[in-house]
Amino acid sequence: MDILISGLLLGGTYALIAMGLNLQYGVARIMNLANGEMLVLGGLAAFWLFVADGLSPIATVFLVAPLAFAGNWLIYRLLIRPLVRRAKTQGQLDVDSILSTFGMSFIFVGLMVTIHGEYFTYSYLADPFSILGTTVAVNRLVAFIAAVAIGAAICFWLYRTQSGTAVRAVSVSTEAAGLVGINVERVSAFAFAIGGAVTAVGGTLISTFITLDASMGVIFTMKALIIVIMGGVGDIRGAIIAALLLGLVETAVATIIDPGLTLVAAYVIFLSVLLFRPQGLFGRRAS
Amino acid sequence: MLGVTGLSVSYGLHRALDDVSLAVAPGEIVVILGANGAGKSTLLRAIAGICEGQATGSVSLGGTDLLARTSDRIVEAGVAFVPEGRGIFGDLTVWENLTLGAYSERGRARRAENLARVFDLFPKLAERKRQTARTMSGGEQQMVAIGRAMMANPDILMLDEPSLGLSPLLCKELFQTLSHIRGTGMGVLLVEQNARQSLAIADRGYLLENGEITGEAEAEAMLNDPAVQAAYLGGAAAAT
Repeated sequence: MDILISGLLLGGTYALIAMGLNLQYGVARIMNLANGEMLVLGGLAAFWLFVADGLSPIATVFLVAPLAFAGNWLIYRLLIRPLVRRAKTQGQLDVDSILSTFGMSFIFVGLMVTIHGEYFTYSYLADPFSILGTTVAVNRLVAFIAAVAIGAAICFWLYRTQSGTAVRAVSVSTEAAGLVGINVERVSAFAFAIGGAVTAVGGTLISTFITLDASMGVIFTMKALIIVIMGGVGDIRGAIIAALLLGLVETAVATIIDPGLTLVAAYVIFLSVLLFRPQGLFGRRAS
Repeated sequence: MLGVTGLSVSYGLHRALDDVSLAVAPGEIVVILGANGAGKSTLLRAIAGICEGQATGSVSLGGTDLLARTSDRIVEAGVAFVPEGRGIFGDLTVWENLTLGAYSERGRARRAENLARVFDLFPKLAERKRQTARTMSGGEQQMVAIGRAMMANPDILMLDEPSLGLSPLLCKELFQTLSHIRGTGMGVLLVEQNARQSLAIADRGYLLENGEITGEAEAEAMLNDPAVQAAYLGGAAAAT
């Protein structure tokens, strides 16, 4: 029961991070390896404002979201769009975007080390709280609720509004999207920016219960990748289930075997999915 | 009036279209006949703004230059395109496909009216609004594709091999639908393998060979032309 509750709470936050990468890779078709650094930046902002001004991380979310949106939009316009225009095939775009965002991740790490080279240690709502006989920290619960609320808002936008439907149309086919009058470049830039904002907000939430430091981004990039590929690229429902699964498995392994083995466990699931269901848990085989 | 003048398209060194000129007026059906690889699809894709090759020449609709525009702005200008293989959003529902068809400003302005027209033309789509497009039959997917294009409220509707993969009965229905669409004042530019049935409903036809226009005539004259019969209508024996 402890494992189930802690695992689901962790998985909820993972789902939010994966949603960010899903918007960037599934819609804008950019494999963003600096995704984890965006997350850590969100955590750094929370730490910084909490320590300096005593600002609650929940309030920081409302600052981080618009800033990350603007920053990611600029990154798309300045760095990514020339690559998209140049690329003749998706394969070429993948190679170009992986290399350039990988490079970008080092820039972010360097900047963050300059700002604060140590652990982002702070304590916010670390009080115990009991649900169904399991004691968890309040911050985990708050982060989970916030993640669910943001995730639900994004789903509502994607599935119930015209602009969200246009985003899904682009993720199905850029060519067909252009043929119904959708400005694919603009929608891609928007999805990339929203994806970055969601990821950064996820970082702000995570930093309330996991102590981050400047170099930890790559671990979260990998986790998000595992979830997105496990759930099926562009499949929000699959990503949510994959994220909860990852949260459960990580918690179970950490509790029952050894905390040092959580990443190993994550990779074991990941490799099994790649070997046996490469299209993702719910994905269809590529035709 | 859609006007194409001196349009050439090259893929690297390969010239797929060479100095092609044609016109489509409102309320007429124009069919382009040609063998595989003659450049028919390239022609339509170049007009729609989704051709990867280098295009030169001029494409205009009522005085607006289209060649320099991206595909979304060509839709906005009034040309809708149903590509070969239909290009519908398979993961989305029929309803979402149709409403996305009216994404452009010109489509949005007359969305309700066009939706009624599409459901009138394809009552089946009204029944299947919530169905995921991918799970429908080939004929139904073609209805979604044509319906979606009509939702953009175009002046000119272009279709690339719409009868491909349809049963003879569905083919017949499709061509009836197209002549019905012409009745609403829309111009239709059609590329077809099925020369006989398409010429039967068309007003005019062009012959495209190796990227060049080699003939233009009234559809009826084309149906009776021995050279056209030999090349595209299965020879003189099949002609009646």
